[in-house]
Amino acid sequence: MYRQKYIFLLPGLLVLVAVILFPLIFTIRVSFSSWDVYNPGLNNAGGAMYARLWDDSRYWEALWRLSLLSLSTVLIQYVLGFALALLVWRDIAARRFLRVLFLVPMMTTPVVMSVIWRTIFHESLGPLNPILEALGIGAQPWLSQATHAFAAVMIVEIWQWTPFMFLLLLAGLLSLPSEPFLAARVDGAGPVRTFLSVTFPMMGAISVGAILIRAIEASKIMETVYVLTSGGPGTATETVSYYIYIRGMRDFQIGYAAALSLTYLVIMAVALTLIAKALIRLMVREARA
Amino acid sequence: MLVLRDLSLTEGGVPHLAAVSVEAEPGRMTTLLGRTGAGKTTLLRAVAGLVQPQSGQISLAGNDWSRLPPWRRPVAMVTQQFINYPHLSVLDNVAFPLIRRGEPREAAREAAAAMLGRVGLAQMTGRRPAALSGGQQQRVAIARALVKRAPVLLLDEPFVNLDYKLREGLREELAELLRSQSDTVVLYATTDPREALQMGDCTVLMAEGRVLQAGPPRAVFGAPATLEAARVVNDPPINLLAAEITQSGLVLDHLGPQSPGATGRALPPGRYTLGLRAEDIRSGGPLPARVALTEVSGSETVTHLMAGAQPLVMLERAVTDHRLGSELGLMLDLGKALVFGADGALILKGASHG
Repeated sequence: MYRQKYIFLLPGLLVLVAVILFPLIFTIRVSFSSWDVYNPGLNNAGGAMYARLWDDSRYWEALWRLSLLSLSTVLIQYVLGFALALLVWRDIAARRFLRVLFLVPMMTTPVVMSVIWRTIFHESLGPLNPILEALGIGAQPWLSQATHAFAAVMIVEIWQWTPFMFLLLLAGLLSLPSEPFLAARVDGAGPVRTFLSVTFPMMGAISVGAILIRAIEASKIMETVYVLTSGGPGTATETVSYYIYIRGMRDFQIGYAAALSLTYLVIMAVALTLIAKALIRLMVREARA
Repeated sequence: MLVLRDLSLTEGGVPHLAAVSVEAEPGRMTTLLGRTGAGKTTLLRAVAGLVQPQSGQISLAGNDWSRLPPWRRPVAMVTQQFINYPHLSVLDNVAFPLIRRGEPREAAREAAAAMLGRVGLAQMTGRRPAALSGGQQQRVAIARALVKRAPVLLLDEPFVNLDYKLREGLREELAELLRSQSDTVVLYATTDPREALQMGDCTVLMAEGRVLQAGPPRAVFGAPATLEAARVVNDPPINLLAAEITQSGLVLDHLGPQSPGATGRALPPGRYTLGLRAEDIRSGGPLPARVALTEVSGSETVTHLMAGAQPLVMLERAVTDHRLGSELGLMLDLGKALVFGADGALILKGASHG
């Protein structure tokens, strides 16, 4: 009798198997092969690909670079997003217009915006360097020097995705009850203290959610690097996703790319779980007067 | 003394406060009595600084507060909603105003724990407000207001959203707690005349953003200065009977001539309105009336009746079962009626009130 319910679950289960489980299991199988342009197909290479990646310093550097890039950009996006959300949370002039304006970067296609930003950063033809020169700062080697190129990728990522953080945090702010803010004012808390003691702690759970969503997305940074710097100069802006793309799609080392992908998946799952636990401990559970 | 002088606030053409002046003394509870929309909450919010009147002055012991932001005003407030900090424990909720005032965290928590003990929540200190019942949440809010020992305590219908029994109990507890804060000015807003009578040392009647009358509760209740004040101060509503006094005696518009000396007073001939309280109408008399609605509240019964075209409300201090549509004979004790002139001002008060 009760088994009949599984018949109704079957269509969903089939879709789940087709779109998630099959690619995952197939990738695991591929990672134990040495499938490349010379030896195409599913042979049995044992753990050779995993042994190879253990010694692949370019992979680990890309992973470190990605961690630095994603954590710093998400943190800055959170701070800016929160500031913008606070700005248009209360009744101010042109509030509706500003809310829409702040969302514009998110609505544009990432690749298109990266192309535009590459033009802006262009060292001889772009508009940015002349502006900096006019301000007395001087032209900067935006895309040809490692630290500048890394900063350029950060700027584009922050510009592109701060609106998403803004949107989540504004929705959170608008869902907060107004009464505790009224009580805080009567209880002697000025605007800054109200933010620190009421707004920020009450936004804890929403902040954790927003940061995690962005961290998951940021751990897959690819388009910006591909269009803006192609990982360069050298490998100065190469992220894991882009490195896996190079190994898999350019060098056609399918087996190795699968091993890189799976290792990356496990590392990210563990790292994001730890980050989530730390954030919950820090921002949700520890509220004090 | 807290002095509110000519406070006015108009929003969107609607006057929320119209030149309101009130004086409230420390150690005494001043009740603001009025119906919903009378301006009580707006007045309390103006004192707290949560709304800014367009004109007028607020001062305590001669110090003008009018331009101070709310967080710099020495007030504490309890509202009709159970307002607490949902992200803090009950203990931290109560300690919050003390910590904001700069007291050491541990000292603030000790004071908060002591106050929570006084409101009967000593066992709940570690919980979040959402885990408490409505009455307990309001106790947390009251404890937070009292622990601050602010010179001005604002209570905006603090018990209106609680059930009858809890309301009675908390009212008594609050009165007990306030006895230990004899240097505090207490403003208590309520829509319930009985609450104003029971709790207040001074009653301020309000309607449409104006102060109608102020004075000791029994004096205000016994002799409301105007028809409007009589409406506000009476619950169940006062019966208003249009009347004319002629050379031959008193004639009620809808109930006809009354016995000579029904009012027992010599008034010049003219048009009047008699205000007859619901408890001054009894069953078992000669005036026929049909039952339109019966409400039993606690140990009292309020019956709405129609005597011809005259609507009447009768209060009986007993639970009675008058069937809808049934006929009752009524006795109107017109000797206790308040008499208002054509301009609505009180001319004579009833025989035994106030």
